[in-house]
Amino acid sequence: MISQEQILERLLAYLRPLAPPGTPLHPDIDLKQELGLDSVKVMDLLMELEDEFDISIPLNVLADVHTPAELARAVFSLTEHADGLVR
Amino acid sequence: MMAKPAMSATPTQNALAPRLADFSTLAEALDYAALGHTGLNFYDGRCRLTAVVPYAEVRREARALARRLHGLGLRRGDRVALIADTEPGFMEAFYGCQYAGFIPVPLPIPSGLGSHAAYVEKLATLLKSCEPSAVLAPAAWLPFAQEAAASFRTIFVGSVEEMKGRAVPPVELEPSRPDEVAYLQYTSGSTRFPRGVVVTQQAAMANLQGMIRDGLGVRPGDRCVSWLPFYHDMGLVGFVLGPMASQLSVDYLRTQDFAMRPRQWLNLISQNRGTISFAPPFGYDLCARRVREGEAAQFDLSSWRIAGTGAEPIRAEVLERFAEQFAPAGFARTAFLPCYGLAECTLGASFGRRGAGVVVDRIERHALEHQSMAVPFGGEDSQASTFVNCGAVLPGHRLEIRDEAGRSLPERRVGRVMLQGPSVMSGYFRDEESTQAALDGGWLDTGDLGYLSAGELFITGRQKDLLIVRGRNIWPQDVEYLVESQSEVRPGDVIAFLVPAVPDPQVVVQVQCRVSDLERREQLVRALAGLISSEFGFIAFVELVPPHSLPRTSSGKPSRAEARKRFLAQAQSASGLSMVCG
Repeated sequence: MISQEQILERLLAYLRPLAPPGTPLHPDIDLKQELGLDSVKVMDLLMELEDEFDISIPLNVLADVHTPAELARAVFSLTEHADGLVR
Repeated sequence: MMAKPAMSATPTQNALAPRLADFSTLAEALDYAALGHTGLNFYDGRCRLTAVVPYAEVRREARALARRLHGLGLRRGDRVALIADTEPGFMEAFYGCQYAGFIPVPLPIPSGLGSHAAYVEKLATLLKSCEPSAVLAPAAWLPFAQEAAASFRTIFVGSVEEMKGRAVPPVELEPSRPDEVAYLQYTSGSTRFPRGVVVTQQAAMANLQGMIRDGLGVRPGDRCVSWLPFYHDMGLVGFVLGPMASQLSVDYLRTQDFAMRPRQWLNLISQNRGTISFAPPFGYDLCARRVREGEAAQFDLSSWRIAGTGAEPIRAEVLERFAEQFAPAGFARTAFLPCYGLAECTLGASFGRRGAGVVVDRIERHALEHQSMAVPFGGEDSQASTFVNCGAVLPGHRLEIRDEAGRSLPERRVGRVMLQGPSVMSGYFRDEESTQAALDGGWLDTGDLGYLSAGELFITGRQKDLLIVRGRNIWPQDVEYLVESQSEVRPGDVIAFLVPAVPDPQVVVQVQCRVSDLERREQLVRALAGLISSEFGFIAFVELVPPHSLPRTSSGKPSRAEARKRFLAQAQSASGLSMVCG
C-alpha cells in the first residue's frame, strides 16, 4: 500500500510547476495564501489525486486542509479506508 | 454510499396526467407528484447512481419528518435551517417543513480548502438572521453546524439520519397554507449583512407556473439535469421545486463534482436523455475549456432542448463557443435560453423565446455611455456594445425601466429595471430597512440596469458595484472590510472593483498606503492577496496607491465607479493592462 510520504511526494511534484517563481515549495506551505491556488486549480489538483489514488475526497475533509502535508494526510486516510472496503 | 446493482433511475415517462404547477401550495404539488413514478436521482462524481427517491417516497419521508419535528416542540412559523448539500435528506427536510407549516431556510455548505473558520462564522451570521428553532445538516456537516450554533442555546442541531431514529408522534399535520411563508431564500449578498427573501406559497406557485408553463413550456418526455446548489435560487426553485411541481424526474450531480469534472454534466445528459438543464455562463465556459480535441462527439446532447442560462451577465461569445464545440454531439444552438431573474422575484422574471437561441442586440457604445441610449449600430466592433436578449416578462407581471428620479423611460433608454407581479417577494425577513429600500409601492427595484426593445429585456449591468467572479456574487464592501481589518490598513483606505480581463474578469483592490520601503510594500501586497484568496477563493490584483488618492463621492464614500474608470484609463495608457490580464 502507498505510504503517506509517497502521497506527499506526488503532491509536491504536481504543485511544483504551479508555485510562483521564488516561492520555495515545502510540506507546510499554505496552498491558498502562499501558493495562490485558486478554486479552479484546487479542483484540478483534487481530480488528479482522486484519479491517481482511486478515492473520492469528501468536501468536509477539505475544510480543514491548508497545506500539502495536511492534504497528504487526508488522502492517506482515505486510501486506507478504501483499502479496507475494497480489498 | 455504494449503488446497489439493482438500482435504476426513476423513469422519464409518467403514468400521471401532467399538471403544470397549478397548485396552491408546494405540499399540494408534492401530493400530486407522489401519485406517479417519477422522482429524484443522485449521482457521484463518476456518474454512478448513489440514490433514487421517487416523489412518493419523498412525500412519505417528509410527512414522517414533519411529525418528528413537531416532537421537538417546534411551533407553526418556526424556522428550520437546512445545511443544503445535494442529497436526499435535504428533500425530506424541506418538504417536511411544508407539511407542518414550519419555514425551511436552505443554507450553504462550505467550499474549498481551509474554509472551516470562515464558513462557521458565515453560518453563525445566517443563523442570527433567521433565528431558527432547529438546524438540520447531513452527518458530514453536523460538526460545522454545531459549532456555528454553539452560541445560540435554544437551537436543536441534528442530522436527518438521526431524526429518523426518533419516534413519530401522532400529530395531525397542517400543511403550510397559500398565504403562509414557503421558505426563506438568503441572497448571495453581503456576508456580513445577509438578507433573507421571504417567499410565500402564492409567490412560489405563481413563479413556478410562469416558468414551467410559459418560460420552459414543459411537456411530456421532459427530464431535468442539474448540478446547481440547493441553497441558490436557480438550484432550489429551478431544479428542486420546478421539476416536482411539474412531476418530472431529475438527475443531480453535486456542485463540487461538476466543478472537478464538468464533463460529467454532459455525460449525465447524454446517458439519461436530459431535456432541460441550466447553468450560469461560467458552467458552459468550463465545459468548453475542458473538452479535448475530438472528444465532443462522444457525447449525445441531441435531447437537450432547453439549455438555460442567467445569473450573471451573459456573454454571447462564451455560449457561441460552447455551441460550436458541442455541435458534433448534436447540441443545437437554438437550445440556449437566456433568462433574467433574481431571488427577490422568487427566481425567474423574463425568459427568452424558446428555440431562438442567443439573440444579441448590437448598439453604439458612445450613446450608451454618454446618453444611456441603446442605438442600433452596424459599424466597427470597437465602437459597439452587444447585449443578450433576455425576453419578455412572465405573464401576469410588469416590467418597467426607470430613471434615477423614478420616471418611467421609453424603449431603448437605459435605466433601473423595476418589476411588479405575483412572484415578487413580500420583503426581507425581519429587515424593514432593506425591504423599504427594495420595494416601492409594490414595485421591486432590482438594482440592475437595462433597456427594453419591442418589450424584450436587455440587461446592461447588474447591481452596479457587484464583483461577479465565476458565477459568484461578491459584495465589494466585504472585500474592503477584510482588507481594512488588517493592522497596516485604515478604514476607508480600500476600494475593490472588477475590470474586464481575459479569460476572466479581474478583481482589483486598491489600498492607500503610507509605507515607503519597497520590500515591505511587496510583502504587504502578497499578504493581502493571500488573505483575499483564502477568504473569497479568487486571486485579486492588489495595488498600493498614495494616501488621499482614492476618489470619493460627494457624501465621502469611496467611489468605486470612478476608481475603476481611472484605473482602466491609466492601465490603457501605460499598457499596464497586460499586467492585470496576466
